[in-house]
Amino acid sequence: MSLQTPSPDLDVGETPEGLDFDALADLLDEHVLEREQHINTEGFVVRPDEVETVLATLKREAGFDHCSCVTAQQYQDRYESIYHLKKYKDPTQELSIVVPTPSDAPLSQSATSVYETTNWHEREAYDLVGIEYDDHSDLRRILLPETWQGHPLGLDYNQKKPQVVPLREHANPVEEKTKVPGESDTMFVNIGPHHPATHGVLHLKTVLDGEQVVDVDPDIGYLHRCEEQMCQQSTYRHQIMPYPDRWDYISAGILNEWAYARTAETMADIEVPEYAQILRTMSAEMCRIAAHLLAIGTFALDIYGDFTAIFMYAITDRERVQNLLEDLTGQRLMFNYLRLGGTAWDLPEPRDQYFEKVREFCSYIPERLEEYHNLLSSNELFQMRVMDTGILPPEEAKNYGCTGPVARGSGVDYDLRRDDPYGYYPELDFDVITDDGCDNFSRALVRLEEMRESAKIIEQCVDALEDYPEDEREIQANVPRTLKPDPDTEIYKAVEAAKGELGIYMRADGTDKPARFKIRSPAFSNLQSLEIMAEGEYVPDMIAALGSLDIVLGEVDR
Amino acid sequence: MTLPETISGLLGIEGLAGTIIGSFLGAALVGTIMLANAALAGPWAKRKITAAFTDRISVNKFGPGGIGIIIPDSVRLLSKELIVPEGVDRPAWDIAPIVMVFSALLGFAVIPMGSGIHLADPSVGLIFAFAAASIASISLVMAGYSSNNKYSFLGGLRAVAQNLAYEIPLILTGLSVVLFAGSLQMGEIVAAQQETLVLGPIGIPAWFGLVNPFAFVLFMIANVAEVGRNPFDIPEAPTEIVAGFQTEYSSVYFVLLYLGEFVHIFFGGALIATIFLGGPAAPIAALSIIPGFVWFLIKIWGVFLFTQWLRSAVPRVRIDQLIEIGWKGMLVLSIANLFLTAIIVGVLPS
Repeated sequence: MSLQTPSPDLDVGETPEGLDFDALADLLDEHVLEREQHINTEGFVVRPDEVETVLATLKREAGFDHCSCVTAQQYQDRYESIYHLKKYKDPTQELSIVVPTPSDAPLSQSATSVYETTNWHEREAYDLVGIEYDDHSDLRRILLPETWQGHPLGLDYNQKKPQVVPLREHANPVEEKTKVPGESDTMFVNIGPHHPATHGVLHLKTVLDGEQVVDVDPDIGYLHRCEEQMCQQSTYRHQIMPYPDRWDYISAGILNEWAYARTAETMADIEVPEYAQILRTMSAEMCRIAAHLLAIGTFALDIYGDFTAIFMYAITDRERVQNLLEDLTGQRLMFNYLRLGGTAWDLPEPRDQYFEKVREFCSYIPERLEEYHNLLSSNELFQMRVMDTGILPPEEAKNYGCTGPVARGSGVDYDLRRDDPYGYYPELDFDVITDDGCDNFSRALVRLEEMRESAKIIEQCVDALEDYPEDEREIQANVPRTLKPDPDTEIYKAVEAAKGELGIYMRADGTDKPARFKIRSPAFSNLQSLEIMAEGEYVPDMIAALGSLDIVLGEVDR
Repeated sequence: MTLPETISGLLGIEGLAGTIIGSFLGAALVGTIMLANAALAGPWAKRKITAAFTDRISVNKFGPGGIGIIIPDSVRLLSKELIVPEGVDRPAWDIAPIVMVFSALLGFAVIPMGSGIHLADPSVGLIFAFAAASIASISLVMAGYSSNNKYSFLGGLRAVAQNLAYEIPLILTGLSVVLFAGSLQMGEIVAAQQETLVLGPIGIPAWFGLVNPFAFVLFMIANVAEVGRNPFDIPEAPTEIVAGFQTEYSSVYFVLLYLGEFVHIFFGGALIATIFLGGPAAPIAALSIIPGFVWFLIKIWGVFLFTQWLRSAVPRVRIDQLIEIGWKGMLVLSIANLFLTAIIVGVLPS
């Protein structure tokens, strides 16, 4: 027990030097069975039937209002669910709640009553690993088809066994769900998976009352490519890095790569040279601009209903930044530019010419933003369509684990670049854009203004790179040829990707491949909040809300 | 003299046979002209115009400016498989596209296109034109309802709501022109616009669009809703309800619907040209050497360009907003316009 009386604006366990885990353990008292050491924080082991109490206490008393991710995994002797908790006001204050369940009866209490976001995360854990959650309102498969046999990330899963599903199980598994209960005049509509506005293969099971949305249930998994398993079968050092490019494939590749790079580098304790960090920061922000441009373009496409001026302008501008990225990385989409401990290569020669091109682009972006503001945000018809629709109140945004522009559009001031700094960001001067509108309009505005900040960041990076002494231009740290982290090293780290907090949990088992590789996808968590935004609104507003969420199915389904 | 009379006169056939043959050939000529316009607009002009608005190049490989694309496009559209979904309500499903094109073409019967191309000039010409255009709504409902598809159904419902809300302001605004012209006959309406209005040193043509710009603007807006273009393309709304009433149509039926829409836009343009822009008249007397038909085409293409401009620049409104604009805004304004026009016409000596 700490002898100091905590000051009123500090949560339990919060000290100016960081989290005081003893105080947190005291708060939970006998609920904590054991304390584990993870690299990023401590893990408190709790009983499976006390999950709700523990999480509710931590949320209420200790201010852990952000359940970032739920990782599930199977050990030889047990199953385990890990709730990665954070705080929106300070994401460096982390805590993991580890819930072991026995192998023969993997039943754990659900956390959905505390954090709404765990709904989908627990469904995923059930789907892929096979842990069941008690009191979960809707424990169905989420990524795999409802007829799937077995849980593919479980240890006893036979990958070679074909998924032959008998006809009786395959007889339209959604049939009874498409019926609307009662005598109401509602209509069930499948919006997607092939629909012009679902940005890929999203399937919205929608119940309409006339034009109004009564109920919406996103059905995801059409683009599930077993990314987690592929990473678990690849080596840390070389084989995993190309995969992140394929998650958020809307040119946000380097941002995703950085999530893996940051996690693996922290795990293996690799110090990245500053010069490489500047390169990373610059290229990552280019990716952010490209991703936001596409987000704005497709959002306008959803509102305007055609491949009209704004979409084409956005694509044309994105082309410019793609050219810059192509010059730098040699690729236009699947960059594969970062390496553990650095980057693949230095700037293209001649450097001056490249700098000039980048500077030109940076001064061009604010000019173009004026054009976008003229076309979008100052267009009264556009305002009429998107203002006060798709409302996501800040409390709900936190409850649903929203991050990135979606959370910032609801006034949640949360940006890992500033709050949990990495790379070259601490040296840079930029603002975190927030907007209190909580509607479709503010989410679009936040993205527009973030591009301006990104351009500012790129400019500062160019300044730094130009003056960098020639003999210190190190792009790669010394990293062993094979990485074999110690067994049972666990880490969860996140970066600010284009769509929000992109986190990765890894557990090492002493080999050169991770034993568990879990991706916390920002779009996955953000998409869950669609039900809050859409229910009670008109169909066009739901489409607009979906567009303003800016999901990429490659990242949602992984 | 109307076109059928001219033709029968040229052929030297008199009596009933002359009327029938003249009418038939005249109708075929007008129909061909309008379909040719639609064929030019659909696969080529629309692309080029949108491309110009959005900084693109669009079709450019086949013929001058890519205009040859019309040929492969027609072959492509016509040679596709006609898929008849299970459970569609035939023959309503088959009739809908035909009615769509037919209704739009029918209206051209009373439009004076200049250079003697005018099929008929009945004394209720304007009412006939509105009535013919309104038949299109029936085809939208038929297509939406018979397709056995929820998106089509939603599109059909939207089409009904939209047409109810916009047809009334459209006709009321059209009536204000009738007050000016003192006739429902298209020939009379055009003739009434041939004078020159002298405003101090400059003389402008007494087109009703210039005499009463307020009515002109109202009519343009209501017309955009009537033909279902942005910002009122709600019955189709690709990002919301896939393609609305035409979701289940393919091949020739799709071509007919698509063509019907373009002919409809041109018909809207023809109405605007006739009752607001002096029909086939040249804007200034010095330009009268250019045939009236050319002026007429320029005017309807101008309206077409306007709809394409809206399509590229204006977002689609929501169905409830559309209804609100229609009933609370357009209707009130069009009634006000009608009263004001009546007062002005009544008070001022003609």
